[in-house]
Formats: sequence, C-alpha cells, structure tokens
Amino acid sequence: MIVKDVVCPFCGCLCDDVEVTVEDDRVVAVDNACTLGTSKFLGDHRLPGPIRRDGNGWKDISYDEAIRYAVDMLLDAERPLLYGWSSTHGEAQCVGVHMAELVRGVIDNTTSVCHGPSILAIQEVGHPGCTLGVVKNRADLIIYWGCNPIDAHPRHLSRYTRYADGFFLENAFRDRTVIVVDVRKTETANIADEFVQIRPGGDYAVLSALRAIVRGKTDTIPRSVSGVPREQLLRIARRCKEAKFGAFYFGQGITMTRGKYKNVRNAIELVDELNRHTKFTISAMRGHYNVYGSNEVNTWMTGYPFGIDFARGIAFYNPGETTAIDVLARRECDACLIVASDPAAHFPRPCVEHLAEIPVVQIDPYANATTAFCNVQIPVAVTGIDAAGTAYRMDGVPLRIRKVIESGYPSDEEILSRMYAMIQEVRSE
Amino acid sequence: MKFLMITGRTVNQGAYVERKLSAQYADETSTCFMHQFDMMDLGITDRERVQVTGPCGTVVLVIAASEDVNPGTVFVPYGPYANHIIGGHTHSTGMPDFKSIEVEIEATTEQRKGVYELMEELGGVAYDR
Ligand code: SF4
Repeated sequence: MIVKDVVCPFCGCLCDDVEVTVEDDRVVAVDNACTLGTSKFLGDHRLPGPIRRDGNGWKDISYDEAIRYAVDMLLDAERPLLYGWSSTHGEAQCVGVHMAELVRGVIDNTTSVCHGPSILAIQEVGHPGCTLGVVKNRADLIIYWGCNPIDAHPRHLSRYTRYADGFFLENAFRDRTVIVVDVRKTETANIADEFVQIRPGGDYAVLSALRAIVRGKTDTIPRSVSGVPREQLLRIARRCKEAKFGAFYFGQGITMTRGKYKNVRNAIELVDELNRHTKFTISAMRGHYNVYGSNEVNTWMTGYPFGIDFARGIAFYNPGETTAIDVLARRECDACLIVASDPAAHFPRPCVEHLAEIPVVQIDPYANATTAFCNVQIPVAVTGIDAAGTAYRMDGVPLRIRKVIESGYPSDEEILSRMYAMIQEVRSE
Repeated sequence: MKFLMITGRTVNQGAYVERKLSAQYADETSTCFMHQFDMMDLGITDRERVQVTGPCGTVVLVIAASEDVNPGTVFVPYGPYANHIIGGHTHSTGMPDFKSIEVEIEATTEQRKGVYELMEELGGVAYDR
C-alpha cells in the first residue's frame, strides 16, 4: 500500500509530500524524502521493550515496572530535570509541561543548545519573519548564514529556494540569487552565486560592517573585516538593497559561536536596516522536526519558550541558569527524565559526567549514547511512523503528523499521560 | 599545534543519528577535517590518527584531508567525540561554546575508541544487545 502526503518527521522543513510504501506494517520504500528523511522512515533497530540497568548489565522489564520506576524517580527527586521534547509531538510536550509543574522540576528542550540564542535575540528586538511559502514565491535573494542546508535541511533548497519555482519569479533559478556566508566552504557554498568566507568568530564584525554600509557609512569600513574583503562587503550590501524581496536564513554557525545571541541580534538589526530600502525577512533554520513546537507549547502554557524552572511553584525563566546544560554542569539536578533526545551524544563532557551520577529515565524508541547512563529506558512509537500528532514547521506552521503503520508500541503521549496520572494521584493524597 | 575547532552537522551524521551505535556513526563523528598544509606541518597523512585536547579532555580522532577548512581550523561533525572535550560553561546564555574552540592537536598511535567506550569512560554502561 502506498500512503501519500506523508509528513517527514526529521528536520524543521517537515516536508509534507512524502510517499511511503507499507507492507505488513513495515515501511519498505520511501519516495520524495531526502537521505535523512528516508533513513528515518526505514530505521530499524528499535529497542524491543523497556530495559533496566542491573549492575553492569541490563535486564528486560515490563512497561508497568518501567513507568513505576520513572514515577518514583520524579517523586523522590528534589530538583528533577525534564529534558528533550523536540522530536516528539505537541500533545506529549503538553503533558511534559504539566508534569514538570507538578514535580516542581526544570523543563528544557533542545532549543537551549540550538537556537536558544536566536530566541533571546528575538525577545530583544523582534522577529521580522515570514512563512516558507512567501519565500518560495517572492524571494529573489536568499542568504544562508552559518547554516548548511544541503547537509542539515536538504530539501529546503529544492522546495523553497535555489531549485524551487516561484509564482512571482519568471525563471526562478536564474532570477534568484543565493549568497552563502560561512567559516568553511560547505556543500551549500558550492551551489551559491556568491560565497563569503569569514574567519571563525567573525560574524558579529561582518554583520556590523554590512549594517554600516547599508546606512551609507562606507568610509568607515577597513580593507577587510574578519577575512572578508571590503569590495565583497560593498557588493553584498548592494545586492541586498537591490533585491525585491530578500530572505535571510541563519543557523548554528552564529548561535553557537562567540557572541551567541548578540550575533543573531545583529543579523536581525541588519534586516531591520534593509527594510528601509526593500522587503527583507529573517528566520532560523530549526533543526529537529518539532523543536519549534516545543517552544510554542511551552510558551502558551508557561509564557516562556524553553528553560523553565518550576521550583518556586510558578514558571521562572532565566537562560544560563535554568537551561539544561547549566543545571547539569552545576551538578544541580538529582534526577533526569529524557524524552526524545540524546544528550549523552550532544552535551559537553561535564554534563554527561553528571548524568552518570544521578538516576536517569529515557523515553526513546532507540538505544543511543544516553542509554549508557539510563537506569531505565522505555521504548515508544516514532511520531510520524507509528504514532500521530501535531508538529510545527520551522516557520511556525503547525502540521498534523500522520501514522503510517501499526507497531504496537505506545506513543510518548500515552506513556507520559500514565506517568502524569500516577504522580497526580500521589500528590493529591 | 594549536587549532580552532568548529563542529557542525553533516548529512552522514544526520542519516545515522538514530543509529548512534552503528560503526558508520562512530566513523563519521570521529573524523577531523583538516587542511593539507596543516597535515604536512603535523607530519600526518589521510586516515591517520590524532590526539585532540580541548578545555575538558582528550580524544583520539581520525584525520581527513579537506580543502573546505582554512589552515588553522579543523572541522568535526557534531557528536560524542567532539563533545568529549568541550566544556559546559555557557556565559549565561544556556549555550556552551560548540564552535571556535581552541584545541591542541598532535599525531598519535593510540586507537580511536568506540562510542560506548567513550560513554564508559564517563561512567556509563554499554547496552550492546
Ligand atoms: S528536508 Fe527535512 S523534512 Fe524534508 S525530507 Fe529531508 S529530512 Fe525530511
């Protein structure tokens, strides 16, 4: 059976034109998705059932036992951390926030280690953004700054920019200019009309120089700024001003490097400046397929997008203090529930060392690096394959993620709801 | 020799991201892309191993020659190997320094470890069933 219009649950593009061939409740072929999406749909090696650490080995346990363990862990903890959330559906994220409030824990999602700084910048100066459809149909200038869509969001180029048709562009491929700014010559740089290579850590200076040029302060620009020649800066600024509609996409190249949110703020203010001359928008290339959703869900429930601390009984937000990396690096949390994420592979060493010292429960379909630090792991269905739910695309558009096969695994939402009900029961006694 | 290490996503790292225990994921995330001039200075050739020391530790990586990084800079895909040497300080932003990290690199004959060996070094227990 071929299922059409399936949404790919891998990256923030949430491509919704994927075709999946299903035989005997197994995905056997995938059309239209990129390598990343295809390998996710065809993924095997699921953890067969819940496991519990037993000395230096592992033993199988039942779902009931596993859920009981997780509940007791959260109830016993004084400062639990509930982390992950970006690769699951909004309904599960919702239960997570309720649960964090009830156990007075810290809840954080992967935003803090991808576009957390972008959100901090947006909170300072706003977000002149737009949906992907607007860019596809109108933008005649695209800037990819510190991001590498060919490797991280492969179909962003074919669905919305370089290789996409545009309603208001006669010959989109010819009429659209693509500029790539990065510290290394990425695959995406190879298909750009112009590549700007800056020295690592030089983003802030280059953005400031461009702002100065757009403002007409050309004389103040030295011969080169962080490795970028003056002539190139002048040309880029001119191209931006002459564009009818520009779209600036940025990635972790500027959020993870020195300056962090100040880099993003500078980029937003450059776009602000350009809007005095033409139409220009800016948006983050969000990684995990529903990381945007975790920000939405957290915001509508608590007022804050990530890093929320319920220790005081109310929502408290202070990135740098209430974010997962800091809570772990300060060795502050005394238990950790991880949902749909793999911090042991993606967090700096001191954080992982602390995970080894506290009880950890992970809810995830696959054994991963974090499994090594788990006391219990509970396998669940993969949203978009054997569970349905809501996810938000990188431009904030919510989409219904479909279920294409029946696997028998419970969804994240089911496991979390059972845990929540049990915690509620104890807390109301 | 001192280098600036940057980390980032690659398509292979992404394709194996749900298969963290596969050999391909380990191979991809333990690759250190370096400019050939720097390799000559260090006296190493393609696929040889280096010891990389960062703010929080040391890890063995495998060198791949690349013209896409500038001399003085190395690129390592996101993953457990790069994170093995990265520190947890976030300058009050919640975000650690994943890019532009100063590291010391030298040739080595030591073996590269597997993902679970790294995890065991940090206090984890391998799940290898
Ligand atoms: S670009 Fe992203 S959403 Fe689209 S198919 Fe590839 S991984 Fe899936």
